[in-house]
Amino acid sequence: MSVATFSLLIPTLILFIYAWRRHDGSLRRGLMQGWHTLLGVLPLLVMAFITIGYVRLLLPQEGLQNWIGPDSGWGGLFLAEGMGALMPGGPYVVLPLISTLHELGIGLAHTVILVTSWSSLSLLNALFEIRFIGWRFTAIRWTLMLPVPLVVGLLAQALFGE
Amino acid sequence: MLLAGAAWQRGGWELALAGAVGGLQSLFLMAPLLLCAFFIAGLIQNLLTQERVTRWLGKGSGWQSILLACVSGVLIPGGPYIYYPIALTLLRAGASLGVVVAFVSAKNLWPIMRLPLEFALLGPRLTVARLVATLLVPPLLGFLSQALAGRQVEHIRQGIKL
Repeated sequence: MSVATFSLLIPTLILFIYAWRRHDGSLRRGLMQGWHTLLGVLPLLVMAFITIGYVRLLLPQEGLQNWIGPDSGWGGLFLAEGMGALMPGGPYVVLPLISTLHELGIGLAHTVILVTSWSSLSLLNALFEIRFIGWRFTAIRWTLMLPVPLVVGLLAQALFGE
Repeated sequence: MLLAGAAWQRGGWELALAGAVGGLQSLFLMAPLLLCAFFIAGLIQNLLTQERVTRWLGKGSGWQSILLACVSGVLIPGGPYIYYPIALTLLRAGASLGVVVAFVSAKNLWPIMRLPLEFALLGPRLTVARLVATLLVPPLLGFLSQALAGRQVEHIRQGIKL
């Protein structure tokens, strides 16, 4: 069993026991809901992983590393932020893709920038935000958020890089 | 499909099949992890209701409200269809700009529902690196937006059309 599986089992067990001790059916409902979500996104997951199998085969590793690898300099960092903002779709599609790019050798900083930029500067999300709350709010949040992925990526690299 | 075509063109059926098989193989390897991740998501969704969050975050703009907004952002389940309407309700209920920016940023950067999936797909090191590096971002963005543009909140409130 991998470290990741093991460390996910612990919160699962804690929540399982907590929900079970409430005796109000939240355990059964919670498990069913998780199962239904999984079944609901399963076709998406299968497609995402097949796509990733192809990306891994077809993407020239050297080209990728020149563009957005650990030695690509500032250009690569900005490219990662831009790519993150443009990545369409939810976590089931985007996270497997980013994990593949990481396996193909883009650096820690670039991977962190991709995740941060996709999750908080996503253009798709901005459309929702403008629709619900208005452009003023989005403009303020975006302006403040714009430098964050770069800073966070470099910080992660400084703290956790090899 | 496009990728499969590209693989076929480059390496015939063999390469086209290899991509799909490779992708599905990684999906099977991830299956126990994904199962845990989805059960965690389902259980949390059942243990936390939206009214609970809205009740926590009534009025106020001090550091306590901003920290509370961060916690709520972390805990609230669901995609943009769910949390932007909540942000809207918070604004209408009198929450300050900083509180709403902190809520949205925390939801984007540390959503407890997405973390198990991120952990499963990107691995412990990357997830921890990203979480540590972004630790201060949501409260900081909350404070900054409040200090720099807090007065805009009335304009934002008036601009809400929904």
